[in-house]
Amino acid sequence: MRLFLGIILILALTAGLTGCSKQSAQSHKPRIALVMKSLSNEFFKTMADGATAHQKAHASEYDLIANGIKDEQDVNKQVELVEQMIAQGVDAIVIAPADSKALVSVCKKASDAGIVVINIDNRFDTGALKEAGLTAPFVGPDNRKGAKLVGEALAKTLKAGDKVAILEGAPNAFNGEQRKLGFEDAMKAAGMKVVTSQTAYWETDKANALARSMITAHPEIKALLCANDSMALGALNAVEESGKTGKITVVGYDNISAAKQLVNDGRLLATADQHADQLAVYGIEYALEMVDKKGTPADKETPVDLVTKAK
Amino acid sequence: MGQWDPITPVTHHPTPPFEVTMRKGITDALGLCAVIAVLIAFFSLKTPYFLTARNFTGLANQVPAAILVAVGMTYVLITAGIDLSVGSLVGLSGAVLGICLDRFGMPLPFAILLGMAAGLLAGTINGLVTVRWALPPFIVTLGMLEVARGATFLLTETRTIYLGSRIGGLASVAVGNISVLFMVAIAVVIIAQLVLDRTSFGRHLIAIGANDRAAFLSGVNISRVKVTVYALSGLLCGLAALINTARMASANPNAGTGFELEAIAAVVIGGTSLMGGRGSVVNSLFGVAIIAVLSSGLSQMGIEEATKRMVTGCVIVLAVILDYYRTRLTAKEPGIAS
Repeated sequence: MRLFLGIILILALTAGLTGCSKQSAQSHKPRIALVMKSLSNEFFKTMADGATAHQKAHASEYDLIANGIKDEQDVNKQVELVEQMIAQGVDAIVIAPADSKALVSVCKKASDAGIVVINIDNRFDTGALKEAGLTAPFVGPDNRKGAKLVGEALAKTLKAGDKVAILEGAPNAFNGEQRKLGFEDAMKAAGMKVVTSQTAYWETDKANALARSMITAHPEIKALLCANDSMALGALNAVEESGKTGKITVVGYDNISAAKQLVNDGRLLATADQHADQLAVYGIEYALEMVDKKGTPADKETPVDLVTKAK
Repeated sequence: MGQWDPITPVTHHPTPPFEVTMRKGITDALGLCAVIAVLIAFFSLKTPYFLTARNFTGLANQVPAAILVAVGMTYVLITAGIDLSVGSLVGLSGAVLGICLDRFGMPLPFAILLGMAAGLLAGTINGLVTVRWALPPFIVTLGMLEVARGATFLLTETRTIYLGSRIGGLASVAVGNISVLFMVAIAVVIIAQLVLDRTSFGRHLIAIGANDRAAFLSGVNISRVKVTVYALSGLLCGLAALINTARMASANPNAGTGFELEAIAAVVIGGTSLMGGRGSVVNSLFGVAIIAVLSSGLSQMGIEEATKRMVTGCVIVLAVILDYYRTRLTAKEPGIAS
């Protein structure tokens, strides 16, 4: 037992030492901190992996410190992470805030310390930004626009007056709210009726139970619009279990790997690709630009593409 | 709290006679059925399609995984333990099943065996660690909750593994409109109830939960029983994972998140005591049914999320308050009070 502890101690020490030497040797390069949301979510994991890959390919240009929190509700932990990054004296923080208001004041602290703050994924609340006097440019896709694209692709397969239902993301998520609005925009424009819209917290299991209840309560619905692909997976199985295959169309958002296959099989009509692997990279590239040139920060929109079965 | 309150040690009978638990079980079951009936009546009045065969077959196909996890949890709670790791074990077993099929291209039976073995192994570790160092199971299984979820992320690379027809066929095997998976879950409930009522292992569970010192003195191998209970809970999570994965035709890294609280709520609604020493597997099944009916009914009414959560919380507590009065009523009958 003691030997075992000894080995661990030695390992820990060597790891610590090599870590330190690496840092001091490369200190002239800009250091970018990536503060992510829940890494238990495939979407954010893809974002973080994309950033790590980008850094490896540009190892001579900058250093990356990537961190994430356990789940999207863990706002305090994210505030702590930003504080640690300030203490580390990084040059820029690229952050996907877990809460669009709660992270503003700590980011203001970072900005006051001379750190460039770039906002990705979940947009800071404009009111809170103004009140804190923080300028943090938002680099990311327009979720409402993306959802509208998906909704329009769906509308082409429906008739005016058809009834549809929406499965929303978690109630406090800005992008979830935007996607819901985008779906509604498209449905309204094409004359469909949204009979019910409820949250399944981004999750497959919950979406399955919810979709089943929606189909029971409104047997006449023709489509389920899901604010992400994980929920679309659950909804699809509810449709099949209710014997409504072919009668109810399902659409999703995010283009996760499972969804790609479903779209190719023709089971999922459409999804949206926000190029998750590039989202953090866009933020990092913009952060590098700001650190380098100190230009005036402005929001930057990144692409969203509609994904349907290749013809 | 009833006749098996741990503060008043039971010296004559560490376990109540079979007929007594049986009678208590039946009155409990009647009470729970009444709650279900009230809920169904309410939702049938409020929504047009609630009282339809399709709704109930749909519900039946939705609950098997929750039932299996609740069965394991019932045993654990009866021994005055707790298993917080069940949700993560469902995730882990599903992940093992998924990568065996997807990455290693194994035949389905092997993949199923390995998936369930993962649950069994993790559950056994829970039991062994708890017993070996006499640790509170709350801490041990909380640790396992984290470890197993981490392992799940590692195995799946935090990506949903799409399995499609390689496993989806299992979920569509049905007799009439009821899936075989539901029947498997019901069979497990019946077997588990019989084991609890009719075998010495079942009696030992209750004895340990009521008073483990007394159980030890009367020669029960406490360690072995406890390890078995956590191992069983893990194995049932493995089976639940198989069902879940088959239904979703995919292995999701976050599968089963939050299952632990749902299972504990269902089991406690079913009248199993968190203090141990009494419980019924069949009544846990009714507990699962109450939660499923409630959540489905509320969704069909399409009410707001905030209201849904408040109503769900109130129903859970009310069902347990009801149990308090039921227990007092039965305790007054001669031959049941201690």
